[in-house]
Amino acid sequence: MFESASRGEVKDTVSSGNGGSELHKLDPSDIVLKTESLTLGFGGSTVLEGVSLEFPRGSITSLIGPSGSGKTTFLRSLNRMNDKIRGYHRRGEVLLDSASIWDSSVNLLQLRRRVGMLFQRPNPFPMSIRENVLVGVKAHGLAKRNDFDEITETLLKEVGLWKAVSDRLNGSPFSLSGGQQQLLCLARALAVRPEVLLLDEPTSALDPFSIELVENLIAKLAPQVTFVVVTHNLAQAKRLSHSTAFFFQGKLAEHGQTNQIFTAPSQLDTQRYVSGSIG
Amino acid sequence: MSEKPSVSQSKSYANQLNFSTLSNLGEVPRTMNDRRRGLKARIAWSLSYFTLLLVIAPAILIVGHVVLQALPHFQFSVLTTNTTGLGGGLKNEIAGTLVIVVGVLVIAGGLGILSGIYLSNYARSKVGNFLRSSSEVLAGIPSIVFGYVGYIALVVHFHWGFSLGAGLVTLSLMVVPYVSKTTEVALRQVPSGYSEGGEALGLSEGYILRRITLKSALPGVVTGIIVAVAIATGETAPLLYTAGYSQNLPKLAVTHSPLGYLTYAVWTFYNQPSKAAVQLSYDAAFLLILGVVLLIVISRIVVSASQKHSENR
Repeated sequence: MFESASRGEVKDTVSSGNGGSELHKLDPSDIVLKTESLTLGFGGSTVLEGVSLEFPRGSITSLIGPSGSGKTTFLRSLNRMNDKIRGYHRRGEVLLDSASIWDSSVNLLQLRRRVGMLFQRPNPFPMSIRENVLVGVKAHGLAKRNDFDEITETLLKEVGLWKAVSDRLNGSPFSLSGGQQQLLCLARALAVRPEVLLLDEPTSALDPFSIELVENLIAKLAPQVTFVVVTHNLAQAKRLSHSTAFFFQGKLAEHGQTNQIFTAPSQLDTQRYVSGSIG
Repeated sequence: MSEKPSVSQSKSYANQLNFSTLSNLGEVPRTMNDRRRGLKARIAWSLSYFTLLLVIAPAILIVGHVVLQALPHFQFSVLTTNTTGLGGGLKNEIAGTLVIVVGVLVIAGGLGILSGIYLSNYARSKVGNFLRSSSEVLAGIPSIVFGYVGYIALVVHFHWGFSLGAGLVTLSLMVVPYVSKTTEVALRQVPSGYSEGGEALGLSEGYILRRITLKSALPGVVTGIIVAVAIATGETAPLLYTAGYSQNLPKLAVTHSPLGYLTYAVWTFYNQPSKAAVQLSYDAAFLLILGVVLLIVISRIVVSASQKHSENR
């Protein structure tokens, strides 16, 4: 409860939906993204077996587990980022609004506009800060030229970067700090109005202050955007997410309310992992 | 500093390690190892400077010699009159060289960049390795052999005659490997985060290539093109066999269009007894060097303008 006071701007939009945490409530029947017995592998080896998970609209889900447990492979399959990797194979389904993302009628570019991604290492493009924000908008033809300035300002304000960069929108993004670069990448991802954002250890390269900024932002945005977050930071999973999925040895070992996973896990492995005995 | 007694005599080594007893680091006395390192460093630096001189000296000598020979007698009429016999100007050769440069830029530049993109982004490893070694073989073939093959195949067999087309095809094939190699290498050095970020945003492959990765690889690509064009401008042998020579302005036709070029003037007129011819030869060499320098300057400007938002700046 102390935390909610320090996150004033978040407090208004959320209510206690997760055993005392300050996250907003979800409609568990409104599933935006869903996997059905998803089995993934490369070449002769299977990385992940039979994962069935549901992501309610506007939820934040943490994927935790030791390195090599298949979290990232799973995450990257949700917007087909693995498709190009040689030897990649899959069984099972990923359903976005009840439609398979691998259906032949799916436009891959549109899919990725709807299901965006943020990476571990901030990766702004080698173009001006303004262009970075607008690149998706322009490529997808989402707005008219006249609106570009306003869009840039709105998004940079949304991620809390406007004050820092408003006087150097045409400057290089690489003059920003790592945390600011990640916020810029978030603004770039938000610019195409994604429904789901996949975050692959989004804060592991950032300092604690930047981490707090990014986390607050995710919590603030969550009602509109569904987040799936791979994280090695257990405290972050605890603070941030509605539900948590624990991946272990190529399987989804346990999935449930974050509170339950951390306080009363049903599996021994989960209990050992979240308590720090393994991992 | 070196006057002071070595600390190892006055203090124990353990004492030296106690940094709190050192009032400032400048007082740390030099040890035997320090002296040996200093000597080694000086030798290494001298060797580096010497080899640098070895590389730069010929360039300075050649450029200096040509400029000193050409400039004092240089007349601007050289630029505006065609060659007649063993005298006159170099207008037809200048025009010919410009046409060849533009042609090679388009043909070798286009082919090289496209094949570089293919090799770095799409080729499977076996196909890629085969193409890469083919390209290396192509780069290793002597230019005179290119000229002869061009002559047999294009000039004689296809009845193109001595022509702009035969010259351009021959020269372009000769320099394509340089462009494709540098393009491939430059594209491979683009951080994978750029294309991943682009894919995750739903940008098309073409958009990512044009707006992000190729732009970021531009310095490397341009270097390759400069090398290719510089080689093409400097070659004589393959052109003698394929483009022939003409004292008229180049005809912009693919076949049966022999044309003059500056290296021809350098090569032919230098061996002539008349002073005017030798002077013309130096003028041609001077113009060639000037042209290549200009090319490099322009490319630097283009590259630096394109890298305003680069990660490496």
